[in-house]
Amino acid sequence: MKITNEIKDATIIITLDGELDASSSVILDEELSNPEVMKFSKILVNCENLHYISSAGLGVFISHLQRFEDAQIKLIFFNMQDKVRNVFEILGLDLLMTIVSNYEEAMTIADE
Amino acid sequence: MLITTAVISWALLLANLLLTAESLQQREYTEPLLPFIHNILLIIFIISVFFYQRINVLKLKKGDFTGYLWNFFLRAAIGAYIALAIYIGFVLSTDFINLKSNLLLHMVYHTFFGLLVVFLGKGLYIWRQLLLYHKNRFLQVAWDWFELLLYGTLLLTLLNFDYTSYIFLPLLALLVFYILFLCTNLKWVAYLNFNKKSRSLVLLGAILLSWYIFKWFFYKFQSHPELAADYTDVGFLLLVMLFVGLYGLAAFLVSLFSLPTSSVFEQKSEDLLNFQRLSQSIQQGQSEQQVYDTVFDSTVKASAASAGWLELDKGREKEISHMLNITEEQIERIRHLLLAYNYDTDHINNNLERNPGFKDLELPWQSIVVLPIKSLKHHFGVLYLLKDIENGFDKETVNVLQTFTNQTTLTIENLRLVAESLQNERYKEELKIASTVQENLIPKTFPSDSWFEISTHAVAAKEVGGDFYDFLQLSESRIAIIIGDVSGKGITAAFHMAQMKGIFHGLMQQDMAPSEFMRQANSALSRCLERTSFITSSLYIIDYRMKGFVFARAGHCHTLYYNAMMEDTFYFQTDGLGLGIIRDQSYKNHIREMFYDYNPGDVMVIYTDGIIEARGAENNNEEYGEDRLRYMLEQCYHLEAEDIKYAIINDLQTFTGPNTIYDDQTLLVIKFKADQQTV
Repeated sequence: MKITNEIKDATIIITLDGELDASSSVILDEELSNPEVMKFSKILVNCENLHYISSAGLGVFISHLQRFEDAQIKLIFFNMQDKVRNVFEILGLDLLMTIVSNYEEAMTIADE
Repeated sequence: MLITTAVISWALLLANLLLTAESLQQREYTEPLLPFIHNILLIIFIISVFFYQRINVLKLKKGDFTGYLWNFFLRAAIGAYIALAIYIGFVLSTDFINLKSNLLLHMVYHTFFGLLVVFLGKGLYIWRQLLLYHKNRFLQVAWDWFELLLYGTLLLTLLNFDYTSYIFLPLLALLVFYILFLCTNLKWVAYLNFNKKSRSLVLLGAILLSWYIFKWFFYKFQSHPELAADYTDVGFLLLVMLFVGLYGLAAFLVSLFSLPTSSVFEQKSEDLLNFQRLSQSIQQGQSEQQVYDTVFDSTVKASAASAGWLELDKGREKEISHMLNITEEQIERIRHLLLAYNYDTDHINNNLERNPGFKDLELPWQSIVVLPIKSLKHHFGVLYLLKDIENGFDKETVNVLQTFTNQTTLTIENLRLVAESLQNERYKEELKIASTVQENLIPKTFPSDSWFEISTHAVAAKEVGGDFYDFLQLSESRIAIIIGDVSGKGITAAFHMAQMKGIFHGLMQQDMAPSEFMRQANSALSRCLERTSFITSSLYIIDYRMKGFVFARAGHCHTLYYNAMMEDTFYFQTDGLGLGIIRDQSYKNHIREMFYDYNPGDVMVIYTDGIIEARGAENNNEEYGEDRLRYMLEQCYHLEAEDIKYAIINDLQTFTGPNTIYDDQTLLVIKFKADQQTV
């Protein structure tokens, strides 16, 4: 699992590369727990190369969801593979989180 | 036998000698009367004495070299002193009483000879034991040849050859060089400590003196006119004499000159022994405290330190566990100073007098060495050693000390590893118990009824898992079935699973709709589930009188269904959020309920994500998937519930290969049947 950051103005783009399992979700949790993250108004998660997400990985996003919502930070997933999207959908997270098909769409939603 | 032979041959020899002496006086005949018999008797005597010594060679326990010397002295070398006493008695009696007896002279001479042969026999074989200490093959062969050649020289005597003739002289000279070579094998001396060396020196001195007495006596009588025989003619005896004397002398000199260095070797061997003790601490089941005892004592001895202390890390505190010739107050002052100079680890100062800080402390020591006991990961303690002289800790000593501290680190770490593995063993036992407890939480048997059959399958990836299912008979015609999956694996998941079972039984006593159950379960779980955990679950309430069921899905895998009427296999696509994701009242907006009327022959497959997310054996990225599961049901819906389950599990195991369960797997197959009992 490789996690990289890219900052564009008030947006932080987090790119997930590989499999988000129990061990790598700890790294993601550290990344999202960083107080610096709260300075941005939008968090975009690029899931293009995310092949698998475990319940622990989902748990990390779920645990931060409320915090971002309270701080009015938008959390947007884009470029998600069908397999991974299916996991989000089964759990009902697609209705709770914003999942869009590509980067442009993500930026438009983020700018709203 | 050999002793008897020796004694008889000696007596005969004496008799022959006296006879010869008698004839010598009368006829002035220079040759012994029966030269051939004399020689044979001589050889029989020598061989019987030597072989007796060879057979009865002393075998002491390894390393008791002074024991050998003591045995040599007591059993043989003392003969020289006895012989000397006899000789003095003889000289006194001839001089003062003016008794001139040829008989007496021969008796004395021959007694000397007998004692000499015993001395040489004993000496040869005692020296052999010492010489062959730590032998190699070459030395053994060299010795065997030496013995053979030595005995070979007896032939010269037997055939009455003059050994001084030109033919044999070079051969004998070669033998002498051989002896010189053998005399260089003195490894045993190195294993003597100072005390043993001193004792050996005394014994060797006494033995050499015996040797000298014998030599002096025989050369004095070499050309005595009244003597009938001259044993200095026997080449064999000369060679053995040479060997015994030279080896004894070599041992004496080597012991003498190695005496000053023996303390160094003693220290080294003690260091080695202490290393061994340290490394064996684990087998001997010693505690860390005993290991520290050993290292402190050993390092103090190895460096000859005059004072020192050992402090151990106990959490954040430092605890002084060992002290020698120093007070706590002095330790405190030295430590403050070392901290001030930032010298608290790995430091050597061999001239404290020059350091103004130490000078002010007015301590009696002039050298200090600070050695941390630590590995890359752990810091166990620090060893401080002090000496009252300048340059007390040289490079060599510090190296030894470092080896000690390194060995200690290794030992302590190993001790901890052993303790840890024991602890792990205990955890495993407890996990086994947890596993049994959890197995009992899952129902083994469902109520069998004529209107439906149910078959279950459940395996956990680890000892305990997060999957669960359960049922509750709500009324005569209604049964509630629940399946769930707690996020994560292991003990925490197992606890939440047990909690969920409790919630299920607690809430469903009140007989509520599935969506209401999910709402209340979410509310209950929100208070106890940690932020990153959630639970997915599906609850089905089947009413066979109404021939229908109602269910709610909270983030759990879609239910697979075969409709016998329409001959169609599909997944129920309903919305529903997992439990514990939203932890407020708004959860009720995220859960839906669905009613469905079943027909006889319908099949419902309920499972957890461990089934559809199972990875393939050939392609690790390929998952079993919903499609494959649906395809399986399409193929075998006509079977009994039990057989449908086996068909699916078999297919799954073929897909994943053996022994590759990464996630808990649970599968329930329910088949509805035509009710035969309807009234």
